Amino acid sequence: MSFEMWAEKYRPKSLAQMVDQKQIVERLASFAKSRNIPHCIFAGPPGTGKTTAALCLARDLYGDVFREHLMELNASDERGINVVRETVKTFARVRTLGEIPFKILILDEADNMTRDAQQALRRTMERYTRTCRFILIANYSGKIIEPIQSRCAPFRFSYLPRQEQDLYLKRVASGENITLQEDGLNAIFDVCEGDLRKAINSLQAAASLGKPVDSEIVYSVVGRANPADVHSLIKTAMEGNFVEARKKLREMIIKYGVAGSDIIKQIHTELFRIDIPENMKTKLAVVVGEVDFRLGEGADEEVQLSALLANLVEAGYQLKGG
Amino acid sequence: MHFAWTVKHKPKSLAEIIGNQEAIKTFERWLRSWEGGIPQQRAVFLHGPPGVGKTSAVEVLANDLGMELVEKNASDYRTEEKIRRFAGSASQYGGFSGRKRVILLDEMDGIHGTVDRGAIPTITKIIKNTRCPIVLIANDFWNKKFVSFRDKKRYLVIEFKKPRTSELLSHLKRIVARESVDADEESLKFIVQRSEGDVRSAVNDLQALAQGKMKLTYDDVSWLAYRDRKDVIFTVLRQVLYGKTCREAKQAANNADVNLDMLFEWIYENAPYHFNVPSELVDAMEALARANLYSGRIRRTRNWKLLRYMIDHMTAGVAMAREKSKPSGWIPFRFPQKIRSLSTSRAERAKKRGIGQKIKRRMHVSVATAQKDVLPYVKVIFENDSQMAAGLTEWFSFGEEEVEYIAGGKRRTKAILKLITK
Repeated sequence: MSFEMWAEKYRPKSLAQMVDQKQIVERLASFAKSRNIPHCIFAGPPGTGKTTAALCLARDLYGDVFREHLMELNASDERGINVVRETVKTFARVRTLGEIPFKILILDEADNMTRDAQQALRRTMERYTRTCRFILIANYSGKIIEPIQSRCAPFRFSYLPRQEQDLYLKRVASGENITLQEDGLNAIFDVCEGDLRKAINSLQAAASLGKPVDSEIVYSVVGRANPADVHSLIKTAMEGNFVEARKKLREMIIKYGVAGSDIIKQIHTELFRIDIPENMKTKLAVVVGEVDFRLGEGADEEVQLSALLANLVEAGYQLKGG
Repeated sequence: MHFAWTVKHKPKSLAEIIGNQEAIKTFERWLRSWEGGIPQQRAVFLHGPPGVGKTSAVEVLANDLGMELVEKNASDYRTEEKIRRFAGSASQYGGFSGRKRVILLDEMDGIHGTVDRGAIPTITKIIKNTRCPIVLIANDFWNKKFVSFRDKKRYLVIEFKKPRTSELLSHLKRIVARESVDADEESLKFIVQRSEGDVRSAVNDLQALAQGKMKLTYDDVSWLAYRDRKDVIFTVLRQVLYGKTCREAKQAANNADVNLDMLFEWIYENAPYHFNVPSELVDAMEALARANLYSGRIRRTRNWKLLRYMIDHMTAGVAMAREKSKPSGWIPFRFPQKIRSLSTSRAERAKKRGIGQKIKRRMHVSVATAQKDVLPYVKVIFENDSQMAAGLTEWFSFGEEEVEYIAGGKRRTKAILKLITK
């Protein structure tokens, strides 16, 4: 028996296999057919098929030897101006042998590049257009500098709708011979909200328990696998257990490497969802905003977020009539 | 059974005490002088930095001279009444078995000058009438609160100094030999250096690092660089967390023999345990957050003038958060977890990064995303399904150590690896 991560195993191999992002896929397929592509920006939330689409496009263009014509770089691993100057340039300027006169460079998480690096990239893109096409992948296209945006064809990926996610998951489940119950499907959509990578990983992790996948299993697995579980963080603080809440926060930051800015963003979202008096929400939002601002000023994530937790403790105390 | 090595390898005879031979001789002479009647100096004040053998000297000598040792420390005699209860009566009678008795008041630094008012006068009064030797021990003899003990007619003052590094080094060597740990010279030297002459902390460190190991190398010990002199920091912490005035709290920044960032970590770690009223907790944590904000600004702008504001908030700001509450019971001070987890997890983070890189190679994601969004699920799988885990180990080509990190245990690791070799 062989095993791999299902997210990889069931990753579509060609554009035709992609069931989602229909309009985008159609346009990309027409590129493949005409054997020519412009520089592209694929923007959208995680797990919506950006990288998959880029890989499929490359395979459709070059066939099975697509790896020879393709370079994958991840900006958040090797950001900085030198990587762009050296690695990208070396790759981009050499012409490939073959019927298609250009190579493809996939630059993932391009929105993590510094502005300087992006400026350098812009010149490289221009200069080597004939020998290399760039596909920039980003969560937010707004973080890509204007001059690059204007040189690229933009594609906006969005979260998979419920039906398409379900379709995928059912396909995986039957391929792996596991029982996926209806409420399990509901639970996965509830927590993954159309992020397919997360959905498939959750399914695989849930299946590892060796039981039919139902909502209970999904929630417990996702809870364990999601270090940035701000919901329980807020809950613990509001129940008055500051020390425990700080411990959770610490684990998120140190053990799981979750960025403070991510935590604050999620707390902000969560704050308006939870069941507390409306005016308390806005009061706490003031504190959240202040903490966010301070993080930008170079303050320490844990210390600042701890102060926020203390505020939550006090809010919880007031709710209890203290 | 695990004993603290500081206890297990405590000196059993005078010969085993490191350094301070002169001081110990003087002390011994004084104790023996009681055999010929009550001397003029009825108490001795031993002082010196932490962990240089003050308490050990008393224990060993009392034992050698066949005296009964009645020992108390700081928390036992904060208040006048408590002191009187044990020391008053004890000082008037001999031991049960007719043995001579020595009374030891250890850790006198823990007496607070203002909060525990009355404690010191009570002690001096008891000394005036005592019929058996009383030994007082503190780190900082020159502190204002001990001024009444400077009277040479009534008190014999003996200073204990830090032992030489060579003496301490051979002490550690003796211990590792007894514990059959193969420690390289480099690592022991590092511990000695770190301890700055504090034998107790050196032995504690040695145990923390070497217990249960066959070998001790320099790599095992380097994280110690973060450790600070605890005994002193505790006094400072009390000053910040329970200070009544801004001045008192701010004084802490001067008294602390740790650097300011480290002092901050100590306060930040401990404050929540000492403020249990939510409104006070908020004020204390906000004060710390403000101090931290200044620290960030200083780091960025190199404007050191701002340092005084950082100090204001982290000391006085925290102290003034207290309105009325005083937590009940004894709350131990804790070593800053953040420092500990940062230093101990350095190796762990490196391992995690390696795993992230292997995931990246397979799954077209960045290392960061791999660690954050994929690894947690892989972990769940490794904890539950050995078969699948074995397959994934091969697919990702994880090494044995990586499997152990993910599976979180030796037994699971073995089970998983066994399935691979099949």
